[in-house]
Amino acid sequence: MKVNYRHKLIIVFLFLLSVCVNKIYAQEEPPVSTPVMGIRYFLPANNLPYLEVNTQTKTGRVLEPLANIPVNVYFTEQADENFLGKIITGRFGKGRVYLSASFKSTFDSLNEFTFIALSDTSARIEELSSEIIIKKAILVLDTALVDDIRTVTAVLKEKKENEWVAVADIEMKLGIKRLLGNLSAGEEETYTSDSAGTASAEFKRDSIPGDEKGNLVLVARVEDNESYGNLIVEKTVPWGVAAKIETGFWHRSLWSKGNLAPYWLLAIAFFIIAGVWGTIIYLVRQLFIIKKLGKIAQVETKPTS
Amino acid sequence: MENLPKFSEEKIIRDLLPQKFGRRGMIWTASLIAICCIGAVAYIQQLSEGLVVTNMGDYVSWGIYISNFVFFVAISLVGSLITAIFRLADVQWRTPLTRISEMIAVSAIIFASLIIIVDMGRPERLYYLFTHGRIQSPIMWDVIVITTYLVLSLFLLYITLLPDIKIMIEARQTLGKPFAKLYTWLGSFWKGTIAQEKIRDRAITIICITIIPVAFCIHTVTSWLFATTYRPGWDSTNFGAYFVSGAFLVGAGGVVVAMYVFRNVYKLDHYITIRHFNNMGKILVMLALLYLYFNVNEYLVPAFKMKKPEEEHLAGLFAGEFAPMFWFAIVVGMIIPILILVFPKGRKPKPMFVAGIMVVVGAWLKRYLIVTPTMLHPFLPKYDSPEKFSHYFPSWQEWAIAFGSLAGVLLIITMLVRVFPIISIYKTITDHESELPS
Repeated sequence: MKVNYRHKLIIVFLFLLSVCVNKIYAQEEPPVSTPVMGIRYFLPANNLPYLEVNTQTKTGRVLEPLANIPVNVYFTEQADENFLGKIITGRFGKGRVYLSASFKSTFDSLNEFTFIALSDTSARIEELSSEIIIKKAILVLDTALVDDIRTVTAVLKEKKENEWVAVADIEMKLGIKRLLGNLSAGEEETYTSDSAGTASAEFKRDSIPGDEKGNLVLVARVEDNESYGNLIVEKTVPWGVAAKIETGFWHRSLWSKGNLAPYWLLAIAFFIIAGVWGTIIYLVRQLFIIKKLGKIAQVETKPTS
Repeated sequence: MENLPKFSEEKIIRDLLPQKFGRRGMIWTASLIAICCIGAVAYIQQLSEGLVVTNMGDYVSWGIYISNFVFFVAISLVGSLITAIFRLADVQWRTPLTRISEMIAVSAIIFASLIIIVDMGRPERLYYLFTHGRIQSPIMWDVIVITTYLVLSLFLLYITLLPDIKIMIEARQTLGKPFAKLYTWLGSFWKGTIAQEKIRDRAITIICITIIPVAFCIHTVTSWLFATTYRPGWDSTNFGAYFVSGAFLVGAGGVVVAMYVFRNVYKLDHYITIRHFNNMGKILVMLALLYLYFNVNEYLVPAFKMKKPEEEHLAGLFAGEFAPMFWFAIVVGMIIPILILVFPKGRKPKPMFVAGIMVVVGAWLKRYLIVTPTMLHPFLPKYDSPEKFSHYFPSWQEWAIAFGSLAGVLLIITMLVRVFPIISIYKTITDHESELPS
């Protein structure tokens, strides 16, 4: 009886525990999803800048892309005459707009710009806005060869009044463009500009394959800097090993063009085709013989008048 | 033609000559034409708008059309099984089944050729296949072997028909005018002389010997379209034999269904007898067991190893999205027919008909399962693709075209049956005469 009582006690305890656990779970409220928007500035090759707008939903710590959101982007201030363009974010929640030629004079006259992104009133979410202030800057990429030592140098300069002034203490990446990303040109992942605005890396990747002529594309990047945004410059240098691509496409193979099929395949295929179709032709001939025999038989059996 | 009562030649001819459609026949034909027309409308829409009207995408680029193609190729193999193999093996009871199987083979292979064009986004470029074709490609082998098999099947049907055409020309008074010109054009030269008979007999033997390897090739090459592509579920050295065994099964199942339908509709009880059902039942059991054996090989071995890329594909088949269809194809398409037909009572016409339907439906689903789930699970991970690419359900245009092509096969069989005898009259008479006591 004592054992039974103990069993009952355990069952009741487990039951109460499960109820409590259920209650605890039930009390947890579903996480709230909040839409967020960001705007980024890009200046590739010191040329035509563009803005990238990014819309996402934030659920707890998870960010999910928010697609099909119409966003209006303005240059300097929110006004019709400063309207840069309307973006509808894609399936990754991103969209971009380029600074059009009509804003060139404004762009040239300013040393600091404001970009404003406002979600369109037709969006199915609450109104979102984002703003960035960017200082005008350029990034120059150069190379040097001194005593057989190759150096990659990037210089960052900011425009102050009418002068280009070197910017110190800015982190940048010096890399080599590869198929799926950039490989660091030196031993460090990132480099910081000195008082002359210069960041240098010693190029030690001598045996890296380039294109057919041995060309490599060097890349210097300032990424998501609060003051300067994203600056990207590239330079092609003949520092790689010329790649010899052996495709075998022009030799007789199973993967080459139709007129370059291997001889053994052609021999087997045509032997089989000739055998079967030769038989079919023979059978057709037999049919004609049957037809001829039928005509002869008809003539023979025709009653003579 | 054993067990045939002492029928006169006239009676046999009267029984076996093609008959006009009755009311049911007209409704049947009209229904098939209507389904074909709906399919044609859907195809015109596909032609004008492109393959975008289908639900095929970057991953499932072979959907219901290719499943249908494989099904048609499979069922067409029955011509070589019943006519060629049975003839060379001197199977005496084959006579009432040969014409049926030849008609099924011709109809199915015609639509196999057509449905592959339907699957092409730009069908007008079919011409390039012949001008720029690569002999290295299994697709080119398939084109060659399908054309060859179509020609051989048509030739076999035609040459075995010659003596019957003579009988039909002689019976034109009974048959009426509609097809008299066609019969005269097709076989007025056939006089049935000994010399003609000898050449015809030798020609049939040559076709039978030739058509067996061609039939094996057609389905082996079709299987290679899959097996030479590195994907879960297709990466198998067993595929040729697996496809050929499945093709013989569905072909035999199709013949059993046709036997039952023609026997009942045209009152052919004395010609297509219980014995024929019994014998075909035994063959069907053997073929179902053989195909089941290959299925066990195809699924058990990869499931035992459960390599990571195969896991998702097999899980989808065994317990996932495709599980109901998969188990239906295995249980209803193979196991239940075996259980029905393994007992003599199950080899009676009605249960045989039910088993035949099960085999054919199961076989169609099996082809769908061979094509689609594999395409949804490539070895390379899916990257940067919309969610809808991860699933496939045919659009209404695809369904309409698929059903239109199935109806097309049945329509060709129906038309052939209307024009030509379902059972060789000449062979039935000669078989019957040889059995009668002299």
